[in-house]
Amino acid sequence: MNPTDPRTPAAPTLPRASTPPEPTPGAPRRRRPSPGRFALGLLVLAPPLLLALFGPLFAGDPGERGVSFTAGDGHWLGTDFVGRDVWRQVLLGGHSVVLVALSATLLSYVVALPIGLTAALTRRGWLEEVLMRPLDVLLAVPSLLLVLLVAAVYSPGTLGLVLLVALVNIPDAARMVRASAAEAASRPAVEALRMQGESWWRIAVGYVGRATRRTLVADAGVRLTGVLYLVATAAFLGVGVAPDAADWAVMVDRNRTGLFLQPWAVVVPALLIVGLSMGTNLLFDAALAPRADRRARTRPPTRRRLVRLIRPRAGAPDEARPVSAQRSTRPAEGEEKRR
Amino acid sequence: MNSLRSWLARRLLLGLAQTVAVVLLVFALTEALPGDAAVALAGDDPDPRRIEQIRAAMDLDRPALERLADWTGGLLHGDFGTSLASGRPVADYLSAGFGPTLLLAALTVALLVPISVGLGVLAARREGGALDRLISSVTLGVYAVPEFAFGVLLVTVFALRLDWLPPTAVGYGTDLLAHPAVLVLPVLVLLSRPVCSISRLVRAGMIDALAAPYAAQARRYGVSGARVCYAHALPNAVAPAAQQLARTVDWLLCGVIVVEALFIIPGLGTVLIDAVAARDVPVVQGLAVIFGLLAVVLNLAADLVAHRFAPRTGVAA
Repeated sequence: MNPTDPRTPAAPTLPRASTPPEPTPGAPRRRRPSPGRFALGLLVLAPPLLLALFGPLFAGDPGERGVSFTAGDGHWLGTDFVGRDVWRQVLLGGHSVVLVALSATLLSYVVALPIGLTAALTRRGWLEEVLMRPLDVLLAVPSLLLVLLVAAVYSPGTLGLVLLVALVNIPDAARMVRASAAEAASRPAVEALRMQGESWWRIAVGYVGRATRRTLVADAGVRLTGVLYLVATAAFLGVGVAPDAADWAVMVDRNRTGLFLQPWAVVVPALLIVGLSMGTNLLFDAALAPRADRRARTRPPTRRRLVRLIRPRAGAPDEARPVSAQRSTRPAEGEEKRR
Repeated sequence: MNSLRSWLARRLLLGLAQTVAVVLLVFALTEALPGDAAVALAGDDPDPRRIEQIRAAMDLDRPALERLADWTGGLLHGDFGTSLASGRPVADYLSAGFGPTLLLAALTVALLVPISVGLGVLAARREGGALDRLISSVTLGVYAVPEFAFGVLLVTVFALRLDWLPPTAVGYGTDLLAHPAVLVLPVLVLLSRPVCSISRLVRAGMIDALAAPYAAQARRYGVSGARVCYAHALPNAVAPAAQQLARTVDWLLCGVIVVEALFIIPGLGTVLIDAVAARDVPVVQGLAVIFGLLAVVLNLAADLVAHRFAPRTGVAA
């Protein structure tokens, strides 16, 4: 199992019931906890994140509107399409992207956790079907398309965008929760807890929830990257934001007309968005990979192992859904024997 | 054989369910949500006459189920309804935007496979070396970057600073193939994310495959390194990537919308964005159905291809 596997939502590997997830004993261990990549991620992420979090504190007064698309003239980065100071807009513009992405990720888990846990822990097959099958079907719809579809009829504000992006992420998040919880729920310890007559709540939250914590944190990190992408892209296309909002993605869109006159109004916010998404991905990869790998051989299932074992194709609708619900988790060994 | 058949049946059934779901979802989100759709569509201009006009044009007075039946019946015959804004048939819009979008998508997919497999194999063969680390870091980083930010930066560098390529497709008409220079940047931007994810998968698969006992055995037999790599390891490494291609389809559909908006290419994505801005619901519905069904069908096709490559994965799944 390779530590530098892509660990992004759309970079799964196949379930390989036929090959054990652990490498063969003779194979050389490839473990590269990369401090370099961690530092690189931090370096790339720090400027946009600091600007997004603390920028609004230093923004100051709007000042007078100048001429559109001028460079210099008392404005450090020039002026934008309506003559506002670009530096001030940059200071203000990261807030919304980061906040919307964080809250949408959080919200999608708030909904996905109970669904996934219930589906994994229930003894009633039909309940699991009812909970999970509609989500499988939803997975087929391209995420941006769903966002645009709603935007065509209603004008979602910031809150609407949060809800929409969270909604788009719920099916995949719920599948991830169910997959990791099903693994934990099949352990003898859960059986023992059940026989002791422990309450459902104590088993679900106290044991299964805790056992899957690490996997879910890793998955949330990966999901955050995807959500950042979707939020920024939606804002660029004008969904969920005012047309003159102080938002990096909106700045890129609106100031494109003056790209020849005043490239800074486009390049600076674009670079900040690139830094934000790139840094988040690099950082999560570096921060979670080595620890997750160390734990891979002990009990808590890591995200990657689960992806291999359970998830047919992460994030995508897929062929395995009909069976994976029952088969790929619990009687995985049985299937191996059958081969 | 039996398990293959039942797998196939299940997969086709899922595809069918997804098709139905796409159609229902498109209808429900645009017309059947609580609240008066006509008022919502009139938007900033809540003129009673306009609202009445929209209501009449969309038959909003009739029950939703009846409208749904009519609409799906029309879809089956290739009738997508008429645009609210212009009164032209939606099918006109679709056929007008089809060419450029198909060209972009076909070019991207044609380049995607060789580039990503090549990069993945290159990195895997020099695993741990400087080149591998460079490729891995760059693909990991670029992977997450939204297309529009990446595209704008490319335009700034290659079109404005260096003046090598045109910044947008404005003024080139719909026959983009006659002007290859216009296509370079859009295709490059469209490739950026899928190449990263697939090359990373190929790399991981290659490393696993090269370390597998059968590769070592082949080497012991004296089979040359290149042959082990390309004839034995590669087919096994490509199987996971083939399934990932299906995921990429989703990205390509999203990417096409963004890239067309960015480079002002008159394709389906531009039609969609314009219709969303104009709240032209029938056009949006038609496009959403087309895009959604495309995603479902391509996912299905990719699954079948992946199944062909590595049948055991399907059985295991």
